[in-house]
Amino acid sequence: MIVIVCLDDRKGMMFNHRRQSRDQAVAERIRKICRGKKLWMSPYSAQLYGSLKGMELAVNPDFLSLAGSGEFCLAESEELVPFVKKIEYIIVFWWNRTYPADFYLDLDLSRWERKGRHEFPGTSHEKITEEIYERRT
Amino acid sequence: MRGEHNSMRKIVLHSYLFFYLAVFSLILTACGQADNPNSAGLGEPSASVMDEAENGSGKPDVSQTEKPTDNRKKSISIEEIPAYSGQPYVEIDGNQPGFTEKEKTKKSFERYSELDSLGRCGVAYANVGKDLMPTKKRGSIGKVKPSGWHTVKYDIVDGKYLYNRCHLIGYQLTAENANEKNLITGTRSMNVDGMLPFENMVADYVKETGNDVLYKVTPVFEGKDLLARGVQIEAYSVEDKGDGICFNVFVYNVQPGIRINYATGESKKDSETGVSGKEAKKTPASYAGSRTGRNESAQKKEAVEIRGNQKSKIYHCPGQAAYKKMADSDYLIVFHSEQEAQDAGYRKAKR
Repeated sequence: MIVIVCLDDRKGMMFNHRRQSRDQAVAERIRKICRGKKLWMSPYSAQLYGSLKGMELAVNPDFLSLAGSGEFCLAESEELVPFVKKIEYIIVFWWNRTYPADFYLDLDLSRWERKGRHEFPGTSHEKITEEIYERRT
Repeated sequence: MRGEHNSMRKIVLHSYLFFYLAVFSLILTACGQADNPNSAGLGEPSASVMDEAENGSGKPDVSQTEKPTDNRKKSISIEEIPAYSGQPYVEIDGNQPGFTEKEKTKKSFERYSELDSLGRCGVAYANVGKDLMPTKKRGSIGKVKPSGWHTVKYDIVDGKYLYNRCHLIGYQLTAENANEKNLITGTRSMNVDGMLPFENMVADYVKETGNDVLYKVTPVFEGKDLLARGVQIEAYSVEDKGDGICFNVFVYNVQPGIRINYATGESKKDSETGVSGKEAKKTPASYAGSRTGRNESAQKKEAVEIRGNQKSKIYHCPGQAAYKKMADSDYLIVFHSEQEAQDAGYRKAKR
């Protein structure tokens, strides 16, 4: 599976059970990346991303267990370590900001190989950085 | 340091939790003193008078005045707040803000308390909407000397200067510049590690959604101290009933490695007061990780301070041309190794 996450400068994801931030430009990027594919997410994520068009959306609290090879998973409040062997790629959207956090990405990205990187302006963020990581062999 | 923090436990958190029924009036004197029984005898600033902000460029008319109500009287005992343990902030009241249903309106406003007889700030309270946010770059605030102010430098402090003029409500939220009712003396750690992330989160949420966020900052003083022990920050997004923004935290006005006399604002290095060097180097933010790895040890963070510019994505090392200047940049982000900065997508400055 291919995991998509949004992170702040400290790898934070959530604070007080809420996503740290959001941006329509990220949603649009996810729509383009997942076009024609299957995108899994939690019921919480579906509140914001559940209206994305052009893909097969699958909403399930246990989506990381259910997702298959080559399928996308939007992870906002999930621990990924238990599923690390299933993860083929990680797509990271960096907010390039520091927010409060009490839930962090539990993967060490230095153990993954960065395969691509590009930046784009957000609707509310000056610059968002998108990176793709592949498991080191 | 420990003794100082134990003494904090004796404080009753000053809440100034008198909020106002929305009674429209053209009589400015209606925004008068609201008796605050909690302030009596506690040496708290008599800041129950809250002024509407000056109507700056591009801001909506905020001349509305309101009548006080005491349906939100509340004092938080410092005993409920854990002693500072290295985290720049701590969640309080289950991270739930105390706004009443009546306060949850969609009308933007901002209010700042009058300074008390000791020149100390009181509560700053706003309903942050896009219409209050700045349209131009922040100006100088150097002329304001908040209570407890000292210009003092330490090598172990990010940017050297121990104290910053801390906006209670950040400039990015309500565009208040050199408003003395909105500026307190705060450590670098409180300003950058403690308050700024919350301001960032609220500002970006408002910009993205157009929703309103109730945002209240209460400085907490003990007795006649000139320096606040910290600030309580509460926030709540109105339109989505807190689904987007909802928190209640206390941010400590401390600086690791520095012992502060809160009565006067005077300070000393811990190493000069018998605290071990190891303790003195304790970092304020026990972040769970950075881009280079979640569980990186704090030791790496102690070793070196790399100053990144979030706008240009360039980082500066000690001795480089713009290193000192970056300390006061609005776009400053501190890394603790060049590798950490590079992993975050930053490149090294050429000079």
